Amino acid sequence: MDLTRRALSALKKIYGKERLKTSLEDRVCYAYDARNMTCTPDAVVFPTSAEDISQTLALAHASGFPVVPRGSGTGTTGGSVAVDGGVILVTTLMNRILEIDTDNFTAEVEPGVITGDFHRAVEAKGLFYPPDPSSAGVSTLGGNVAECAGGPRAVKYGVTRDYVLGVEAVLPTGEIIRTGVRTAKGVVGYDLTRLLVGSEGTLAVVTRILLKLLPLPAATATLKVSFRSMEEAAEAVTRIIASGTLPRCVEYMDEASIVCAQSIADLDLPEGCRSILLIEVDGSSSEVLTSLATVTGIVTEAGAMAVEEARNDDEAKRLWTVRKKVSPALYLFGPDKINEDIVVPRSAIPQMVKKIEALKKEYGLPMVSFGHAGDGNIHFNVMIDKKDPVQRLRADAVIDEIFDHTLALGGTLSGEHGVGITKRDYIGKEIGEKELELMRGIKKLFDPKGILNPSKIF
Amino acid sequence: MISGNLKKEFENLLGEKNVMGDEVTRMNYAYDAAVLDPVMPALVLRPDSSEQLGAAIRLCGEHGVPATVRGAGTNLSGGTIPYKNGVVILTNAMNKIIEINEVDMYAIVQPGVVTADFAAAVAAKGLFYPPDPGSMKVSTLAGNVAENAGGLRGLKYGVTKDYVMGMDFFDVEGNLIKTGSKTVKGVTGFNVSGLMIASEGCLGVFNEITLKLIPPPRASKCMMAIYDSVAEATESVAAIIAAKIVPCTLEFMDNFTIRAVEDYAKVGLPLDAKALLLIEVDGHPAEVADDAAKVEEICKKYNARDIHVAKDEAEKNKVWEARRAALSALAKLKPTLVLEDATVPRSKIPDMVSGLDVVAAKYGLSIGTFGHAGDGNLHPTILCDRRDEKEWHKVETAVKDIFDLALGMGGTLSGEHGIGIAKAGFMAQEVGEQSLSYFRKIKKAVDPKGILNPGKVIGD
Repeated sequence: MDLTRRALSALKKIYGKERLKTSLEDRVCYAYDARNMTCTPDAVVFPTSAEDISQTLALAHASGFPVVPRGSGTGTTGGSVAVDGGVILVTTLMNRILEIDTDNFTAEVEPGVITGDFHRAVEAKGLFYPPDPSSAGVSTLGGNVAECAGGPRAVKYGVTRDYVLGVEAVLPTGEIIRTGVRTAKGVVGYDLTRLLVGSEGTLAVVTRILLKLLPLPAATATLKVSFRSMEEAAEAVTRIIASGTLPRCVEYMDEASIVCAQSIADLDLPEGCRSILLIEVDGSSSEVLTSLATVTGIVTEAGAMAVEEARNDDEAKRLWTVRKKVSPALYLFGPDKINEDIVVPRSAIPQMVKKIEALKKEYGLPMVSFGHAGDGNIHFNVMIDKKDPVQRLRADAVIDEIFDHTLALGGTLSGEHGVGITKRDYIGKEIGEKELELMRGIKKLFDPKGILNPSKIF
Repeated sequence: MISGNLKKEFENLLGEKNVMGDEVTRMNYAYDAAVLDPVMPALVLRPDSSEQLGAAIRLCGEHGVPATVRGAGTNLSGGTIPYKNGVVILTNAMNKIIEINEVDMYAIVQPGVVTADFAAAVAAKGLFYPPDPGSMKVSTLAGNVAENAGGLRGLKYGVTKDYVMGMDFFDVEGNLIKTGSKTVKGVTGFNVSGLMIASEGCLGVFNEITLKLIPPPRASKCMMAIYDSVAEATESVAAIIAAKIVPCTLEFMDNFTIRAVEDYAKVGLPLDAKALLLIEVDGHPAEVADDAAKVEEICKKYNARDIHVAKDEAEKNKVWEARRAALSALAKLKPTLVLEDATVPRSKIPDMVSGLDVVAAKYGLSIGTFGHAGDGNLHPTILCDRRDEKEWHKVETAVKDIFDLALGMGGTLSGEHGIGIAKAGFMAQEVGEQSLSYFRKIKKAVDPKGILNPGKVIGD
């Protein structure tokens, strides 16, 4: 839909000329996210306060135009795309770290703070914010909260929702609410905080976030472990977790992702290596030493070809950089990427790996999988050329089978990317009609006119 | 009132012995651990399967009968006190641990499993379920989830909500709603299980709960630090945290509580000490040794008169038994015990403790203070006699003062006991009218007729 002239002039009153963009060039810049589908919005606004957002939503509620909140647009499920047109509300100007409280291990931030900047700021004070989505260098904390972002460290430290103590948020009707507490415990009233985290910007726009911090671990160490097969690597992961030593990251790459990684940097792998694990342990210096010994023992017994410890911080950093760049390097295998982030109970990873091998043979499409083996979160990619309708049909069939198998193993369709637009058609596979009805009811309650990030999730 | 016909329907559904209408039974379920007036339920129901539980809720929904689900009734805010002419639904016949999955580290339980039984079953498999509310020997897991129970280990390990991966629950029509997942990550759809935790039985009735388990710490060390000054004890707490040490437990007891506990449990506590801290660090053996040494150093720096390190498991257990006895010990002293759990950011603990002294002096009341100093969750306990109207009025005013104190320091009314009936009237003061009206809208959306535990959290 198009914005009415009256709505547009009301927006101009709130934002002035500088913070309201309506030219085509400006609008196209905010027409897509990492999902790579394009819907050009009618206008783009840059609020600097909760009041700006409150007025915008009240206006949208009254005049009925859609508002789609957006951080850095790194979402992979189309969550920040204006499917039904309307206004993109970009939070990047609200990027102040308001407080880092070293006595109580909390921080208060605005939604547009870049995750990586926040990591550096708290680490400089000896504190630690564990969630580390791969896009941390550009993603915003508000976006992380909206999607409940995860990352490699989730195996030990959990995901974004485990660190959100409370929020200030603007409801689609324009009201400003505060949820949660500044204290370590708190049970006053319903837990709206947990409902808002992961709601993909469909229930409210978060304007302030109170985050929990931990003491920064004194030491970390990274291991690169090579295996002859993906099955052996998966088996090693199961044994590590069962041993009671919980590394902070256990990442795996299959053969195809190793090819992508090698295109970025030489990983110096032994001949015949078809899968690698990157394992990071942390804790006090003495704890790190014994954990390294335990993990090395286990992977060796599980048939590792080589176990190498990163010699210094730079080398560890390089290994992690390579891991994080696998996703963009996938285009080696095809111009278009269909990317899923299924999760299975971690003991079921070997079964999932077998299924993926079978699908590769059956459908003859390039498939790449890598990800967070420690928590069962697999980033599964099918590379195709979308212009070829046969490939598209095949890819759809592959995704259908992958999802069915995931659910059959007791898993879930999305670990950290969310549903957005891309998984909307599949949500009914996992979530029953009654449950969906309840969720729609909640949406309606928050947003009776359906103006906030419409057409997402359901 | 419940008609004879409806009672018959309940009996057909649950069997006659599981539908109790006699006065003695009804009186037994008219109250919980909160200091509030009892309310007689019309009937007490005891389903023993998911099917029965769901059908009972459906009948209540269809006939407009208020239903209050009750685990062990250890609630301290009146959350399990029934509604007039309503029914109490007991979960104690649904107490099976359905699965403990060692490889994927989760467990699935029925609502009525007793917390300590579950912790023991999990420990027997070499795993660890950290939440340990003071009442864990009798409390049920569904009750813990409904209240988001905390406990002594909250400082390091978090509270119940940090261990709930998902659940299924009955809505007011008796439909079984599934939420969450068995995986560590999961963001498919709204986080409905997150909303259900701590909703105090107002939004749904839990059927099966999936709980996260973790590997147990390999080592632990427990010590008692004894102080001649309350301020120095509380300053030690702040200093330990500021040194970036996170003990698994960091408990505080004032002199009043020390004397009550010693009189009750005879464990050899120093009667003349002004305050003591019970501290346990756990984790990797090397880390435990480092942390324990640093904690000792800090306690000494703040003039701890004596630091006693538990030599073995038996001695350690004795110390924790003493701490767990605190509530019972205090309860023996006077006919009425009012236990609060206002929580403040942990750096404000010294201010909170001195503030409580001022309140005690202002109203001439006995307030014993103990609790989870490490996470800012203190339990100021007022001893009184509710039959003494004049004194009771002072107690009520003092409680308001305590709430004002906590909120003034950026704290919260309740760290782990919940709102129930006891604190429903104070909600707006903390969360504001706008948030409260949202709570009411949510309640109305899922339970339009007000069947599920009416009167709690958001008032009538």
